Amino acid sequence: MRRHVIAGSMLLALCAVSAACDEKLSDLTGPTPNLQPTLSSIQREIFDTTDASGRQACTNCHTAAGRNPSGLMDLRPGASYASLVGVTSPAKAGAIRVVPGDPANSYIIHKLEGRAGIVGTRMPRGSVLLTEGQILVIKRWIELGARND
Amino acid sequence: MSHRRLLFAIALAVATCWPLHAAAQGAITVAPQLEGDPDLDFVPLQPDFMLITLPTTLRVPRFKGAFRVTHRFGRPLGAGDFGDLAEDLFGLDSGAQIGLEYRFGLMRGLQAGIHRTSNKTIEFFSQYNVLQQNGTSPIGLGVLASVDGTNNFRDSYSPALGAVVSRTIAPVGTVYLQPIWVNNSNLQPSELVDDNDAFLLGVGARIRVRPTVYLVGEIIPRIAGDDPGVNQAAFAIEKRTGGHVFQINFSNGFGTTMGQIARGGTSNDDWYLGFNISRKFFRGNPSGLSPRPIP
Repeated sequence: MRRHVIAGSMLLALCAVSAACDEKLSDLTGPTPNLQPTLSSIQREIFDTTDASGRQACTNCHTAAGRNPSGLMDLRPGASYASLVGVTSPAKAGAIRVVPGDPANSYIIHKLEGRAGIVGTRMPRGSVLLTEGQILVIKRWIELGARND
Repeated sequence: MSHRRLLFAIALAVATCWPLHAAAQGAITVAPQLEGDPDLDFVPLQPDFMLITLPTTLRVPRFKGAFRVTHRFGRPLGAGDFGDLAEDLFGLDSGAQIGLEYRFGLMRGLQAGIHRTSNKTIEFFSQYNVLQQNGTSPIGLGVLASVDGTNNFRDSYSPALGAVVSRTIAPVGTVYLQPIWVNNSNLQPSELVDDNDAFLLGVGARIRVRPTVYLVGEIIPRIAGDDPGVNQAAFAIEKRTGGHVFQINFSNGFGTTMGQIARGGTSNDDWYLGFNISRKFFRGNPSGLSPRPIP
């Protein structure tokens, strides 16, 4: 009986040490540690904010405030969802900016990753690029259905 | 954070060894009893502590150890024609993922060990064999716990809990069923993935075809949770000589730790040559030369 107790205790100790070993999202998202795969978070951390790495806020150019937004895409709060989800890019025929559930075919991802076949330059233009982790979070938001959350 | 994890692992190792130290001191006077330890008996239908990547219910005798080296060569056997394959000596010319492992019997039925693979993953594992197949139990049963960590146990940790059920069918061999849960099998944060855990159901068998020659097979489907790649499977032929077991195996993946196995094999079209060599650092009971009767 004593043997079972000791052995069980050792196994439990190993379990206790190793439990809940999830990765931290903030370790991936670098200069935007609070970034989450929701539109409100992406809006706050990516679209609206120039982050610590020097990456410029998207709304520096993609804004309809006093100008025509670059690419005719307004990324200001309240306008970004309608500019992105299910909307065809005027620059490239047939390319949809955000296809809910399908980040691989969402043109915004192609532009952020600088894939072959994009029209114009990789985004953000003339700025520090998004990190792989930041792009992963945007992909995840799209994968989860690109909700207006 | 990673340093804290490392300290935790060291603390665990110390905590694990403390009772061993205490027991070892007591063992000075009881050492002669080890001579009669039935765990020192040779078990012909379960000659090793592992199948190919899955554990068996063979007990490591108390205060005894065993070493194992694993190789998984990186060249897919199906790439190119037979001439290309022969030119590469069936994959042996290519790089390999190598694993080094040592296990130790802490007390009767309880073993602990460490396994490191050449992609800098370290796995600490422990197994307690609760039941042995005999006149009162129709099966052998072990419970296992492990945790593997990438980047020399500094980055991503994948703990696992499971059971090993064995049934020896004399004189043919032994079959195994192993439900195993692996946490954090997907190394992305949970916010970015659908599933962060995998539930495996390992199935395996070792068939004795000659007195010292065995055929071994295992498949480890992920029946729930995260399941990238394909389910890892492997088959092998092995030869036992005294305290050594030499095994040549073929598998569709390189995984040898629970976390790696949970992440699956590469493709069902790509099979890889590999080998395992294990060595027991103890001598069996003289009476163990005659096989232990199995009901």
